[in-house]
Amino acid sequence: MRAFVKNFWVPKRGNSPGEYEDAFWVGSAGISEGELDQSVLRLSLADGASESLLANRWAKLLVSCFGKTDGAATTAAGFMTAYGDATSQWDEELEGYKADREARGSPIQWYEEPGLAKGAYATILAVEFRDDSEGESPAWTASGLGDSCIFQIRDESLYSSFPMSDASAFSFQPPLLPSRQADEAVLLRHVCLTASDWQPGDSFYLATDALAAWFLREIEQDGRPWETLRDLDTSDALLDFPEWVDQQRDLGRLQNDDTTLLRIDII
Amino acid sequence: MYSAEISRANPTCFVFLLDRSASMEDAIGRGEGQRKCDVVADALNRLLSELTIKCAKEEGVRDYFYVSAIAYGGAGVGPALGGPLAGRDLIPLSEIAVSPARLETRTKKIPDGAGGLVEQDVKFPVWVDPVAVGGTPMCRALNRAQTVLSGWLNDHPSCFPPVVLNLTDGEANDGDPVIAADGLRQLASADGAILLFNLHVSSDSNSPISFPDNDATLPNQFARTLFTMSSVLPDHMCTYAQQQGVATSGNTRGFVFNADMTSVVQFLDIGTRTSDLR
Repeated sequence: MRAFVKNFWVPKRGNSPGEYEDAFWVGSAGISEGELDQSVLRLSLADGASESLLANRWAKLLVSCFGKTDGAATTAAGFMTAYGDATSQWDEELEGYKADREARGSPIQWYEEPGLAKGAYATILAVEFRDDSEGESPAWTASGLGDSCIFQIRDESLYSSFPMSDASAFSFQPPLLPSRQADEAVLLRHVCLTASDWQPGDSFYLATDALAAWFLREIEQDGRPWETLRDLDTSDALLDFPEWVDQQRDLGRLQNDDTTLLRIDII
Repeated sequence: MYSAEISRANPTCFVFLLDRSASMEDAIGRGEGQRKCDVVADALNRLLSELTIKCAKEEGVRDYFYVSAIAYGGAGVGPALGGPLAGRDLIPLSEIAVSPARLETRTKKIPDGAGGLVEQDVKFPVWVDPVAVGGTPMCRALNRAQTVLSGWLNDHPSCFPPVVLNLTDGEANDGDPVIAADGLRQLASADGAILLFNLHVSSDSNSPISFPDNDATLPNQFARTLFTMSSVLPDHMCTYAQQQGVATSGNTRGFVFNADMTSVVQFLDIGTRTSDLR
């Protein structure tokens, strides 16, 4: 399949780019952008929870594990494999962080210990596109836990929305993947899976919660939010992404939060 | 209302009022001999600790909150914290974090992962020690909070409404605290009126009561007075209280009787919350 992929992100207003706690992964290398031609294209998107420590590291680890794991977006077993890979690497990540702090003469303080012991938390959305080269019809699958979303646009209308479909359902307490290995049975109660078809001309938008909620609110008010998002970085755009996000925040239409968009146009 | 973002660019204020009068020397009901002054000092230390931990990030503690801790008792009305912060009126949370008077080591029981509990050493920061001397100038303390918050609101007119938490046995002897509380609760930001909560420690041995919506079950006049002084919980705080097993209604007040109130820290939204899946 051939697709044009573009990423957009801005940190929460008042935060520096270094404090951005979303993470994303595209293609085999993780940060591909532009025109891709692959028989299998995987993408993943995570939103680190701001009330946890090392949320950005956990979000990055999750997207790499889900982006590299065959089936992570397709089956519950694949999801658990990717999650298991991430949690098995977390202790090493944590020890490396603590050692680095010691080396920098900035050891862990009393107020950090409970948060580090509790672990980091993030949402995850994993998506896999497969082309029809093996005689199968072109399909995409997705798995998710939490409120990071994918929207599929076909023929100028919303064709699929996953896993959220109601703007009022977003909250400060979405289900989150913990860095401390969670009980599998409990976890699986919250894992969502979906599968659908794609065709050339379709567009997909992957978004973290603030932008996803905005997208669904626009839909609920008979708007066409994809028109705004597809024009970003084109000559039709009146504003670039950070400017547009700023404007929407000022208008109270977009929650002030880290905001990430992955746009995939199937060619 | 009560929906303003709490951030470093738009911080809010937490004012703690700490009763240090002589009556606080008495034992708390059902408290195995613990003095009321021990209970409130411990409660304030835990509240400051919880608030700090909630705002801790990799680079340090973010100043989502500024803290004023005011003691009232025989020594009059004035700053409550000890150690390096002694004498300070309004302190950014990042300074609270790095300047406790001392760090104690306490043992805490935590789940062992196999259905049991194990004891673990944890660091417990101490900013205030128990004191119980003289009268109870609660009205003056409430007036002092009003002065602090008038200045704060002048500088931060769009902030999430500040929270005042009064830790006391309720035995004011410098006037009617209901009148002083009424004056304090008139203060407001663009996002709503300030919130006055009361943690009542009592020698009465009645069962603990958390966030009641009427005063019918309260055991004494002091409790009923403090209930009257307390703000009604905003809707979103009621939701968080419900998640902690508290039944709420439209008249649920920010008041507890001989009960823990550390949960109030969790009533404040600073970003995506973390909790384990169920």
